[in-house]
Amino acid sequence: MDSTKILVVDDNPTIRRGLSVRLQANGYEVLFAEDAISATAALVTERPDLVILDLGLPAGDGFVVMERLHKNDRLANIPVIVLTGRELAGNRDRALQAGAAAFFQKPVEDSTLLFAIRKALDVSRGELRFDD
Amino acid sequence: MTEPTPRSTELTAYLSHELRNALACIHQFGNILIDGLAGELSGEQREYLGIMLENATKIRRVLDSALDGNAGPPKELANKIERISKLET
Repeated sequence: MDSTKILVVDDNPTIRRGLSVRLQANGYEVLFAEDAISATAALVTERPDLVILDLGLPAGDGFVVMERLHKNDRLANIPVIVLTGRELAGNRDRALQAGAAAFFQKPVEDSTLLFAIRKALDVSRGELRFDD
Repeated sequence: MTEPTPRSTELTAYLSHELRNALACIHQFGNILIDGLAGELSGEQREYLGIMLENATKIRRVLDSALDGNAGPPKELANKIERISKLET
C-alpha cells in the first residue's frame, strides 16, 4: 500500500523538523517546502494527499498557494490544513473561505492536528463528509 | 475600548508570528521527548519536561487572550491587570 504523503509548507526549519518527526511517527510520508514557489512546484510534481500550510511565507503567502492549488483541476481536491503563527482576525475566516479544511494557530496539540488530518483525508477520499 | 491603530495592529501581527512560532517549537519538541519518540526518559526527566510543557501551555493561554481575545484573560492575569489599573488611578 502506498503511504500517505503530506506536504509541510513552512519557512521555519525547526517547525518543519518537529512536524516531520510527529507525522512520520504516525506513518505519514513527509515532504517539505519553505516558500510559496517551492510549495507550488511540490504540489505539481509530488501531488501530496494533504498539505499543512503556514500563511506567512516568502515569495507569496499561504493564500497565494491555496489560490494556485484551487485553480488547478488536478490539485483542487487536495485538502489544506492551515497552521499559522498569524493572528485570528482576518486570517481564520479568510483561510476557511479560501477552501482550507481546518485552521489552527501555533502551537496546536498533536492529537488535534492528527485528528484533523485523518478527517480531512477521509473527506477527500469520499469516506466521510465534513459535517459527520 | 480604544480602536487598534495601524501601528498596534502591526505590532500584534509581529508578536503573534514570533511568539507563536517559538512556542510551537518548544511545544513540538517537548511533546516529541515526552512521548518517547527520541528515546525513553527517566521518571525524573519526564517530570521536569512535564513542568516545562505545563508552563508552555500557560504562556499559550496568555498569548491567546492577549493577542486574539479568545477567551478573556485567565483569572490570575485578570486579577493582576485589575491591581495594576488600581495602582495607576
